[in-house]
Amino acid sequence: MPAIECGGKIINVDDDGFLLNFDDWDENVACMIAEREGIQELTKERMDIIKFMREYYKHYISFPILGSVCKNIHQPKECVSEEFIDPLKAWKIAGLPRPGEEVVSYLRR
Amino acid sequence: MAETGKLEAKPVSFEDLIKWEKIKYEAPELTGKIETPCIKENASLSYKAQLYKGKDAIARLGYPTEGLIPNWKEKFLEKMDEMLKKYRSVRLFMDICVRCGACTNKCHYYLGTGDPNNMPVARAELMRKIYRRYFTPQGKLLGKKLTNSEDLTEEMLALWYTYFYQCSECRRCSVYCPYGIDTAEITMAAREIMNSIGIVQKYMHEIVDKAQYIGNNLGMIPDAVRNAIEFVETDLQEQTGLDIKIPIDQKGAEILFVTPSADFFASPHIESLYGYAKVFHQAGISWTMSTYASEGGNFGLFVHNYNNMKIINKRIWDASRELGVKRVVGGECGHMWRVLSSYSNTLNGPFDWLNPKYSIPQHICEFTLDLINKGALKLDKSANDEFTVTFHDSCQVARGMEMGGTASGQYEIPRAVIKACVNKFVDMPENTIKEKTFCCGAGQGLLGDDMLPIRVKGAMPRMQAVKVVKDSHGVNFLALICAICKAQMSKMFPTYGYPMEEVGGIHQLVSRAIVFGAKEGI
Repeated sequence: MPAIECGGKIINVDDDGFLLNFDDWDENVACMIAEREGIQELTKERMDIIKFMREYYKHYISFPILGSVCKNIHQPKECVSEEFIDPLKAWKIAGLPRPGEEVVSYLRR
Repeated sequence: MAETGKLEAKPVSFEDLIKWEKIKYEAPELTGKIETPCIKENASLSYKAQLYKGKDAIARLGYPTEGLIPNWKEKFLEKMDEMLKKYRSVRLFMDICVRCGACTNKCHYYLGTGDPNNMPVARAELMRKIYRRYFTPQGKLLGKKLTNSEDLTEEMLALWYTYFYQCSECRRCSVYCPYGIDTAEITMAAREIMNSIGIVQKYMHEIVDKAQYIGNNLGMIPDAVRNAIEFVETDLQEQTGLDIKIPIDQKGAEILFVTPSADFFASPHIESLYGYAKVFHQAGISWTMSTYASEGGNFGLFVHNYNNMKIINKRIWDASRELGVKRVVGGECGHMWRVLSSYSNTLNGPFDWLNPKYSIPQHICEFTLDLINKGALKLDKSANDEFTVTFHDSCQVARGMEMGGTASGQYEIPRAVIKACVNKFVDMPENTIKEKTFCCGAGQGLLGDDMLPIRVKGAMPRMQAVKVVKDSHGVNFLALICAICKAQMSKMFPTYGYPMEEVGGIHQLVSRAIVFGAKEGI
């Protein structure tokens, strides 16, 4: 099983690098995945997006409408694409499991 | 190590033959011409679909979970025998082809790749070769050499897996076949046979499982569906300043509205949801969406699995009865329309409780056009003056049964709605629209990221037609009525060098043009 190491902790991920266990995530893990994904810095704007996605997933076990993410955290309408280019990267950095084929194919990226 | 040495000496395994690998792709330069390519043997042989590893879901769907099963040849032939007996059409299509070649250059995947196995006749021939060998007296007696047939080998199975997943079941080839051979049915049967021996494609089956057991292709639980729709409703109210509702699970409503789940998730799909809600609001007709029947799309069709199709379709059937509605209206979705209008009655029985005064089911374009014709919808075409619009006939609608009770309603009704909303509309070349329309290149289980190389090739004919009207008329909006077409074209437009924002739904145009006010004529 693929894994990444973060601060001495071994974290299991799937073949595409998505975390397998929701609770393995913390901000250090986020920074590490961000680096792997080519996102230089997790600014406050980016972190707010990620934290909202985690909260949303906890309640609804699904991928939110991107517009609703931005509205809820009071950022511009296209904030996820502007901050991460590929919304799936935000999801991955948020430590959430691969959202499924249909979600992936319907995200504009 | 000794073990490794042994493995290297082995012939190529079946897993290697069908292994998915990331392939770099780029769009060809557009010329505006759709030309028959020279034959390029094996040009798309390396484009494979990913196999599904979700064992729990595969088990739920009733297929073997361990991959290719040990006694696969025996089971393959058993299943093929069953399919030939159950679907007499498939057997007929095996027997009647005369190799006239009329279909050869009609498939978008052949036009895009030049791979001869993507000629519809050659694709079907992959099944006919097995049919002649094992299901005809001459094949059984004389073997493969004298009957132009093939033994069932792993190599042959790998060809099946490759090329039956390079068909989008769009049925354009069938339009040109003098015998009316429906090659899509052959592809569907082939996929079902492969499923039965453990060769299960990922994209489609993950989604069929979610639609059956969660209720929609995106896997959104009812609370998530409610949350998403409420967000759209709030947004709509803020945009318009009007109390426009998107009712959910409302018993006693006149209309149950079903639509692909992408309409409350993706862009530009959501823009059409705004449009539907505005039309219902202006019409003053009570309507509801359902968290139980939260998916219009029915991927059961793609694998020809009657049982999957039935379970998914039954959600709509059950919800409409449970909610006590009088009409079922379907949103912008290609294969939803085909299953709901062509198969629903035989799958789950007729919608006896619905009002026979209206089409059962009714397409949202028919619903909207009816209101326009009655004068109940006021539309300001100038709101769309920045657009010159063309319309892509989605294959499952264009070559489905009908729309609005007229033979060519599926061509005329969507165009009539567009023309009521815009001043500038132009059709693409005649051989690329209506019954001769080209598939977007991603239908019937090919929309996954794993299929991007073949999606780009398959989109080429449609993109050439788009280029023609872009160059001649400055078209800058491609109107669509299918969730898959919208997702595929949003990806293909930038791949071919056009802006992604030029792709959208018909009700996106309606949404922009609608003028709220008088309700006469309802």
